Amino acid sequence: MNIAQQIVNGLVLGSGYACVALSWTILLGVARLVNFAHGQLYMLGAFVTWYAMTKAGLPYPLAILAAIIALGLLGALMQTAMMRLVMTQNLTSLMIVTLGFGYVLQGGSALIFGGNPQTLPGTLARAKVDLGSLWFTWQDVLVFAATLLLYGAVWLFTQRTRYGSVIRAVAEDPKLAELFGINAKLVYLFVFVFECAAVALGAALVAPRSPILTSMGFNEVIMTFVVVVLGGIGSITGALVAGLGLGLFIAFFGAFVAQAYTTAAAFALLLILLVIRPAGLAAK
Amino acid sequence: MSAIEQNHANSKPVQRTAIFIVLAATGFFLPKLLGGTSVAYSTLTTIAIFAVMCYGIDIVLSYLGEVSLGHTLFWAIGGYTAANLSVKYGLNGWSTAFATVALCIVAAGFLGAVTLRTREFVFSLVTYAAAVVGYEIAFNWDAIGGSDGIVGISALKLPFGVATFSGATQEDLWPVALTLLLLTLVFIARFRRSKLGTAALMVQMNPALAASLGIDPRKVRLAVFVLSAPITGLAGWLYAYQRAYVGPDMFETYFLVLMLTAVVLIGRRILIGPLIGTAILIAQQNLLSLGGDWNKIVLGSVLALVLIFWPAGLVGLFRNFGNVGLKAKE
Repeated sequence: MNIAQQIVNGLVLGSGYACVALSWTILLGVARLVNFAHGQLYMLGAFVTWYAMTKAGLPYPLAILAAIIALGLLGALMQTAMMRLVMTQNLTSLMIVTLGFGYVLQGGSALIFGGNPQTLPGTLARAKVDLGSLWFTWQDVLVFAATLLLYGAVWLFTQRTRYGSVIRAVAEDPKLAELFGINAKLVYLFVFVFECAAVALGAALVAPRSPILTSMGFNEVIMTFVVVVLGGIGSITGALVAGLGLGLFIAFFGAFVAQAYTTAAAFALLLILLVIRPAGLAAK
Repeated sequence: MSAIEQNHANSKPVQRTAIFIVLAATGFFLPKLLGGTSVAYSTLTTIAIFAVMCYGIDIVLSYLGEVSLGHTLFWAIGGYTAANLSVKYGLNGWSTAFATVALCIVAAGFLGAVTLRTREFVFSLVTYAAAVVGYEIAFNWDAIGGSDGIVGISALKLPFGVATFSGATQEDLWPVALTLLLLTLVFIARFRRSKLGTAALMVQMNPALAASLGIDPRKVRLAVFVLSAPITGLAGWLYAYQRAYVGPDMFETYFLVLMLTAVVLIGRRILIGPLIGTAILIAQQNLLSLGGDWNKIVLGSVLALVLIFWPAGLVGLFRNFGNVGLKAKE
């Protein structure tokens, strides 16, 4: 077994986890909201991309754009429906409502896209880069670069601009923020639409690597949970490090222990961490 | 509100018992009243089993006010325990039920203890992840069934001294399902009046008061969660005998969404709410089915829309129409 190849595989996997988890990190860390439809949104983003490419014949970049717009609109719709629960910070109901939405999305997607597994067409995912004993695809390079770029952009936006502090003020106390002339509803709407659009982008980038199924949302989301908790719930740099670290762990576990139980291994890692550091690795 | 009901119930124990016996007897003959067909028996048995499944999550959601997304794990533990122990070791129903309760307590105790110091949504997240991992293990581990599951579970056998009850058909299983349901109802009714039940409600409704009385909300959460697991587990146990098959499909999101919907549909903190909710939902799926994918859309929409528009459930809706004065108590 080639150690260097496993490190490459780990970074490839990890950048994918981090890319998909970014939106949840923002939603939770910046706006203190949760969305248990995340896995189904990922599934839908992948299927919209697939549909745009195979049925509408759009090129890959335009298909990504179509997925981002479609899910952004869906996000606006979901958020409008949940606005009262969001404004009262009713986290318990929000968790259940988003789970219900996710189930609707799963049923609806099965109706529209059918129950068969599909593969996203694309030349990048099949274009190999061979470096002697190491190999990866151009799709992997794209995911890795896009993930770093996205995290950088989001970090700058939330930490270095006025808008970032406005969002944090709303998360802290929506009623108080409104007294200061901030439209809290608009801020929540923006954050949620961004979350859905970011999932669509993540799905469009990551999904070409493996076959997609309308029922995959339930299982796909677990890596996002692990990344978010490992990274210290809402920490943007923490999520990036946790994503890459989890990717390396999964690559080595899959190669040397058991490929079939990688999810269980990630979960075990999460449980160990919760016992040692309940607030996450990044917490002081 | 619960305090008023409590006094009311305590003052008339004889009347309460009488009503209970009448209901139990009516329940026993209900399939006969509905025509006595095997469809009537199997539908009612399914409703009873699924209602018990829902009561497990009900005590966490209604009284503790937290969301467990991992009760499908206990449901599957029940099914897999019954299947494995009866098929491989020929154990009877009592032994498999006992093993189910023990394993559910261990699993819930472990998950609850690990999340003891975390925030509430981390608890939901970890329970959700536990169900996904449970699915992966059940799917890949051939020794407990693997992706094919276990087929040909023999009829439920419950020896009573000399005689042995054998539940081979849906007609035979109905009394068992009804008994399990009634025992669950008695248990939930007692829980509502118990020290733990009131402590859980207090933690949910008035955390400051609970803290001033020295109640540790995290310990209450752990206790309620551990108590809830065997209820859903025993439902899964009977489900395995009813279907004579268990497989990784016991982890389907369907069961989780059904449990949550049945609880919120009628209204939280109502004793027979989950039972009526289950009956309505199963009736829709069996009698007015629109096909698998449409049923998913219906179930998910009901769950989301009820919480968005009528957080107090259908009961709250009727109360709003009937008596405005009661609104203040909600």
